[in-house]
Amino acid sequence: MLIDIQNLKKDYLMGEFSVTALSEINLQINKNEFVAIMGPSGSGKSTLMNILGCLDTPTEGTYLFDNMDITQLDDDALSAIRNKHIGFIFQSFNLLPRMTALQNVELPLMYAGVEKDERLKMAKASLEKVGLGDRWRHKPSELSGGQRQRVAIARALVTKPGIILADEPTGALDSKSGIEIMEIFTQLYEEGHTVLIITHERDVAACANRILEIRDGMITNDTTNINTKIGELSLAN
Amino acid sequence: MQLGENISIAFLGLIDHKFRSFLTILGIIFGTASVIAMVAIGEGAKKQAIAKYQDLGVSNIIVRDKDLTDNELEEVRMKFSKGLSFADAKAIREILPGVISVAPQSEIKLDAKSGDRSSKSTVIGITPEILEVLNYTTEKGAFITTDQYDRQLKVAVLGATVARELFSYENPVGRSVKLGDQWFEVVGTMETKALFTETVGELASRDLNNDVYIPLSTFNKRIPKENQYASEINQLTVKLRNSDELIESAAVIRNIIDRHHFNNDDFSIIVPFELMKQEEKESRIYNFLLASIAAISLIVGGIGIMNIMLASILERTREIGIRRAIGGRKADILGQFLTEAVVLSISGGIIGVFLGVFLSVGITWITDIETSLTLYSIIIAFSFSVMVGITFGYLPAKRAANLKPIESIRHE
Ligand SMILES: Nc1ncnc2c1ncn2[C@@H]1O[C@H](COP(=O)(O)OP(=O)(O)OP(=O)(O)O)[C@@H](O)[C@H]1O
Ligand SMILES: [Mg+2]
Repeated sequence: MLIDIQNLKKDYLMGEFSVTALSEINLQINKNEFVAIMGPSGSGKSTLMNILGCLDTPTEGTYLFDNMDITQLDDDALSAIRNKHIGFIFQSFNLLPRMTALQNVELPLMYAGVEKDERLKMAKASLEKVGLGDRWRHKPSELSGGQRQRVAIARALVTKPGIILADEPTGALDSKSGIEIMEIFTQLYEEGHTVLIITHERDVAACANRILEIRDGMITNDTTNINTKIGELSLAN
Repeated sequence: MQLGENISIAFLGLIDHKFRSFLTILGIIFGTASVIAMVAIGEGAKKQAIAKYQDLGVSNIIVRDKDLTDNELEEVRMKFSKGLSFADAKAIREILPGVISVAPQSEIKLDAKSGDRSSKSTVIGITPEILEVLNYTTEKGAFITTDQYDRQLKVAVLGATVARELFSYENPVGRSVKLGDQWFEVVGTMETKALFTETVGELASRDLNNDVYIPLSTFNKRIPKENQYASEINQLTVKLRNSDELIESAAVIRNIIDRHHFNNDDFSIIVPFELMKQEEKESRIYNFLLASIAAISLIVGGIGIMNIMLASILERTREIGIRRAIGGRKADILGQFLTEAVVLSISGGIIGVFLGVFLSVGITWITDIETSLTLYSIIIAFSFSVMVGITFGYLPAKRAANLKPIESIRHE
């Protein structure tokens, strides 16, 4: 099992009030699952994903990632886990604007202490994998939204993480670019990656093989999707 | 992450904001430059001060008639003192151990004249021994010889200013000058000497370049005494073999002359070397003060770095969040911003060193104030500027490192 969450709770302290964003979350995710998280705005999807990605810590409960107790780790250890085991993809891409695509993809390897030559090779391979082998010199501002998101995916993949977390990756894209991005995720899943995406769109969620629904900070539905849509697409091809 | 990479990231960040980076280090640049320029001015003053003592001779002891009023003079004469005399010189030469030479001299303020030009000068009667106690080199012609002294010739060697005022840039050697009511032949001119702007012990401040040297024998024969009580000579310059026993020798000299003058307190003893050491000590304090004032401006420059770095971190919060999300540790962020501060302050320091050197040279060039660049001031100013950069860069860098990843990545 890759992820095991028990009785997880997350409160946000807002001055004197505390807002409960997540409560009674129990969730297990195995290797090579493709999970879509759905739910209305403010239901706690991003909060859950940030905790899964070790960017945030739960208020209560336990979180085992690959049998490591995340709640017991210090900041440096969490940084190392984000670096080596987690690939984050954001709705707003979050690329460093002054760096080229290649430099952006190189960055996690830099923090991992990979040598320059090796780093360049891996970063280029990663960009090729998302179909941007010829655009490595470009800065984010010189790329389309879909291309930027593919650079972000290349950056997430470059350290060969155990899980890919994507928070509304197609949210800022037109439908054509969105489909391209979903094709990449599906391909990654088929190659054996574990992928978790947040989405508001039914068709996007339909690509996944498991769909979680969250409402008011609780998981209300957990269904297996046998007939994945992209699976049909690839069959049609 | 390796240091080299941190430095290259820092450079990229700074080059992206060239103008802002330049403004950030402006304070450091001026701080460093002013430390260097201030110390150069101080060192220049010190060098000049020391040069004037060297003109007096660092292994010499000077004995001078005290400046007494007519009444006081009359009183000491009543008490049997004749004032400084050749007998005093002889006694010192015979009794004092380690003495190389004793040079007597007399002096009087007179106008030196040539044609319709006139120069206020101090006419000094010297004996050939003067060349054994002082480093008197002539620029043109030759100094007064023993032969000229013995024959009581009316020859004169002009100080640089007198020569220039009387003869402009013509060669005065062979020409005549009138000292008081006597005509003298110019046999040489002196090199320009360090300015004597302050009183050195009992030596009234005077410009050595206004001196006119004539044989003491001629002086005593031709130049009228100021009054009936005037002593035979005004000054004795005693040269010792080495400068280790100056204080002891000065005490012996005082003893000898006290006895000759029947314990009349009508002379004073000056030890240039001691005065020089004292002045060196004083100028060290003065230099330190100058440098400290400049260092304050360097610290203000450091505050500038801190200020702009804090602003830049606020602006780059999201970048910090992204770096943390993909695995950057606190130490990496700290290192990145600290490196930026160091790169900034080193650049500022380097530019500041150049500006400081340029200023020091420029000051001398424009204002005639002597400056002296020293390696130590450059090293201190530079390392201090780098230290200031690191110190004031640390707080902002620490703050950047401690930002919560999730909050900074959400930052708009
Ligand atoms: N930093 C925070 N401080 C206070 N409350 C927060 C914070 N972050 C999230 N919340 C609250 O927690 C709840 C869940 O927020 P979250 O961002 O997880 O929702 P979401 O499901 O991702 O919504 P959306 O679909 O709009 O992205 C919301 O009520 C939100 O206001
Ligand atoms: Mg969200």
